[in-house]
Amino acid sequence: MAQSPAVLGTPRQRVDGKLTVTGTAVYASDFKVDGMAYGCLIQSTIASGTVVEIDQSEAEKAPGVIAILTRQNAPKLQALPEELTGNGEPGESRLPFQDDQVFFQGQHLGAVIAETFEQAREAAALVRVRYQPGELRTDLLGLADQAIEPRMWAGRTKLQDKRGDVDWVWANMPQVRLVDETYSTPIENHNPIEPGAALAVWDGTDHLMLHVSTRGVDLTQKVVAAAFGLPIENVRIVCPFIGGHFGSKGFSWSYFLVAVAAARIVNRPVRLVLSRPQMFDSMGQRARTIQTIGLAADENGKLAALKHSTLTHSSMIYQYTEPCGSLTRSVYSCPNVQINHRLVQLDFTTPCPMRAPGEAPGFFALESAMDELAVKLNIDPIEFRMRNYADKDEFDQRPWSSKHLKECYDRGAAKIGWSSRNPKPGSTKDPDGRLVGLGMATAVYPARQQPAAAKVILSKDGSIVVQSATHESGTGTYTMMTQFVADSLGVSMDRVRSELGDTQFPPAPVNGGSVLTASVGPAVVAACTALRDKLISLAVDGPSAALSGQAKTDIVITDGRISSAKDTSKSISFSDLLTNTGNQTLEAEGSAKPGDAYQKLAFFSFGAIFVEVKVDPDLGEVRVTRVVGVYDVGKVLNPLLARSQMLGGITFGIGMALMEGTIPDMATGRMVNANLAEYHVPVSTDVPPDFVVEFLDMPDTNMADNGARGLGEIGIVGAPAAIANAVYHATGKRIRDLPITPDKLV
Amino acid sequence: MNNFAYVRPNDIDSALNLIRTRPKARFLAGGTNLLDLWKMGVEQPETVIDISRLGLTDIAPRPDGTGLRIGALARNSDLAEHSLVLNQYPILSRALLAGASPQLRNAATVGGNLMQRTRCPYFYDPAFPSCNKRKPGSGCGALNGYNRMHAILGQSDECIATNPSDMSVALAVLDAQIRVLGPGGERVIPISEFHRLPGDRPELDTTLQPNELITAVDLPPMADTKHAVYLKVRDRSLYAFALVSVAAALTIENGSIASARIALGGVAHKPWRVPAAEILIKGVSPDHAAFDMVADRLLQGAHAYRYNQYKLALARKSVIRALSVAAAST
Ligand SMILES: Cc1cc2nc3c(=O)[nH]c(=O)nc-3n(C[C@H](O)[C@H](O)[C@H](O)COP(=O)(O)OP(=O)(O)OC[C@H]3O[C@@H](n4cnc5c(N)ncnc54)[C@H](O)[C@@H]3O)c2cc1C
Repeated sequence: MAQSPAVLGTPRQRVDGKLTVTGTAVYASDFKVDGMAYGCLIQSTIASGTVVEIDQSEAEKAPGVIAILTRQNAPKLQALPEELTGNGEPGESRLPFQDDQVFFQGQHLGAVIAETFEQAREAAALVRVRYQPGELRTDLLGLADQAIEPRMWAGRTKLQDKRGDVDWVWANMPQVRLVDETYSTPIENHNPIEPGAALAVWDGTDHLMLHVSTRGVDLTQKVVAAAFGLPIENVRIVCPFIGGHFGSKGFSWSYFLVAVAAARIVNRPVRLVLSRPQMFDSMGQRARTIQTIGLAADENGKLAALKHSTLTHSSMIYQYTEPCGSLTRSVYSCPNVQINHRLVQLDFTTPCPMRAPGEAPGFFALESAMDELAVKLNIDPIEFRMRNYADKDEFDQRPWSSKHLKECYDRGAAKIGWSSRNPKPGSTKDPDGRLVGLGMATAVYPARQQPAAAKVILSKDGSIVVQSATHESGTGTYTMMTQFVADSLGVSMDRVRSELGDTQFPPAPVNGGSVLTASVGPAVVAACTALRDKLISLAVDGPSAALSGQAKTDIVITDGRISSAKDTSKSISFSDLLTNTGNQTLEAEGSAKPGDAYQKLAFFSFGAIFVEVKVDPDLGEVRVTRVVGVYDVGKVLNPLLARSQMLGGITFGIGMALMEGTIPDMATGRMVNANLAEYHVPVSTDVPPDFVVEFLDMPDTNMADNGARGLGEIGIVGAPAAIANAVYHATGKRIRDLPITPDKLV
Repeated sequence: MNNFAYVRPNDIDSALNLIRTRPKARFLAGGTNLLDLWKMGVEQPETVIDISRLGLTDIAPRPDGTGLRIGALARNSDLAEHSLVLNQYPILSRALLAGASPQLRNAATVGGNLMQRTRCPYFYDPAFPSCNKRKPGSGCGALNGYNRMHAILGQSDECIATNPSDMSVALAVLDAQIRVLGPGGERVIPISEFHRLPGDRPELDTTLQPNELITAVDLPPMADTKHAVYLKVRDRSLYAFALVSVAAALTIENGSIASARIALGGVAHKPWRVPAAEILIKGVSPDHAAFDMVADRLLQGAHAYRYNQYKLALARKSVIRALSVAAAST
């Protein structure tokens, strides 16, 4: 398409980089309006029971208090329709203020609205709540017999499934086995830097403007309109920037409904920002998982049976199931596979997707188990995986759209120096006495395209604006859209400005599931194509047109000019064309949706991750000292941003492997480490300087026109298992319970 | 955060006067601990006495020209980087740098560090109903709760919290003297008597009286700086509280141990030092058997709970490691 220097596939800095690092990017909590008041949540301090009385007499007298919102004076919210609350959909079935029941610690019972944030917080601390405590359900294992077997995740992934006959193989065939080994992962929190934040501004009683930290303005609009009984077009949601979300900001969390209700009762705009501790009870979490894996293979290492069972939990008000086993059916070739998920509802806050939902904990279990069986079989872990290489997706017998996993193994192994690894655990020691281990794991993540639309607006000065109702969460969406426009219309990137995060823009998917580039990219291209057609018509059609008489097929567009390929003297700039034709602007919309290929082929990204760890043999401290990740993600549109995503994803995996975990007090259901001092995420010295990320950069020609499959989540997949496998190799100790902290190794 | 009065006296006398006369008054130094606890609702001072104008930031030899006197308001970073500390008390520098983050150390002071309170979650979050330290008589939430970070030595059924300070563990082996001023004038508290065990008064962390101000910390000269180490075991490489830490200072003469001073952090309500253990290895050669013996004695009577069993082994191994490294340093 473009004749100018390529902008797709070349490293480009974030177009919003300067805004972000200089603090000029506007996040939800940065918006200000006249007359704004501040809200602070009133939260439950029990996990189960009923509210008997909310005594606000002290709080009412506190300075600056405008009103106290509780169930008594809250506007009646409408139940969300089924489509917004079904399993995997974005809304808890229970809205705030519906009854006096308490279902988890930190549940929102109301809010204090005051003139300043400090006043609201102080008054909220003066509210006294009296409860009738109920029976407490915090023990996942103890309540396992009450588990239900949910059918689907996100309406599309089967949670109970099998092929072949695992039980028969298990009972009748002599095999080398790994017998029902248990792997567990703790509750984890997303902990984006930007907390949840909302500023609700009513215009009269039937128009609402909500600035909110969301990764899906369209979804949030539906939820808010439904809850407050407003026509959808009367609700505008704006969110130009998100300070990270990792899955947490796509749900209809209660806090922003509380903000909207608060603004309603005080008749003023209300800003409500979550505190860090509230990020542990008000915006989702990854639930704890207890997974059991059974594997059987013949002596040659060919898998005969694979069982993967998951026990996990949701809240009492919503059934979200961490889908740990969803990809277990696809990763390896194996005739007999069975997956199963069981869900117990506990008195904890509602879980939701978190970076690589299912795959992150699921691959910890599966790829640890594969390592264990390779050891039993005395086969090299890579070789073992190659002997079970899946040439198609055996889950539904579809061919892969494209798969180059073998190349990932080969390149990664060469880079890390796998061939000189002595497979014997504990065989390698550093001069400083630390044990050295190398481990690896496979990474797989589904690739998807979702329907999306975009609009481009060309102005008389030659600048172009592109709009879509999706989001920048730090991943590079603004940059990606700018690149697509520059490429499609042959203009330089600095002539293009992207706008995101507004329900007034054309609809697009939420920022999640690593789908954005593959979905919005083609929509932008379609919009640009439509704009080109309009430009060409303006230039060519009619007797007085600048390029009158030229064939449309001979027209080329580069550097903001429309020219004839045949006659180079015939050429006009965008600006002149618009001026001459009396147009201030020229707009075009475009949309794209997945084509037929999505029915016929299985679309996945693949990768192989290798790590080196060093372990103090006495004190149990583990450090990741080297990482090599090689990925097959289709075409890489911007190597700089793609690499950043992988660095972040793998670092997320280091956190998951070695330190992250939200810990409940079993007697109260309250989290004991709901802060960033005691909930540990990696710091810079936990990230090894020797950190190699490579992409095969092979376009997936079955994907929509650009051949990119999207990335963002695949980095965390496999990393925890690779680290656990390396720890085993270093020490001979198999840690099956994350995180791998020193206490588990001494 | 409640409403409060803020005062900033210019001299020590006024500060002492204010703390004596104002109800529910607290000194504010770096604020890194006080503000945190205040926002959580654990502390609710009615008067905050900002002591930043009192000076007390000097780091210099004691008046007799030996050792070191550290002003109570010296910042943790300044102290850690000070040439006298780096040359004469490197173990103190290492302990300070093992704590918190650079930003926190830039704000934190020596007095505040000595006074910092436990990180026990049942203490830190008032929504937990039971904590004898926060609410005497309410019970101990940690005893049968999540006690992975908790004490194995010197605790009571009333309280199993640990003191989180790294600096104090180094000060314990340096035989620091805490200089304080109060209504009765000046007194000097040896570091070993500054922090206390919980017993049946866990609400009291230290022997400092409510109206007293810490003015300085004195250190006697350190004869052998070479054979001293600070070891900290933690859940991530930096910016995490100690699971177990060890300050070990040996003097070695003619191949045998002339004196040993060892303190453990992360295991008790105060830096854990056992003089009887140190005497055990006086005169013996610094080898594994000797270190094993010290570890045994140091950990005598240790008792762990559901989630901190690992500390029994980790503390032992940490002691042996620290002493081995200290002895081997040249
Ligand atoms: C996230 C985080 C991580 C941390 N990690 C570590 C760590 O790994 N290791 C570690 O050792 N510490 C750690 N700390 C604690 C830190 O070292 C302390 O917060 C700090 O030393 C306190 O000093 P300050 O001057 O800020 O005290 P302030 O908060 O100002 O005061 C604390 C208390 O001391 C009293 N006080 C202060 N000065 C005096 C005085 N001169 N006389 C009498 N009373 C006084 C105050 O009234 C107050 O009660 C961490 C803190 C945080 C927040």
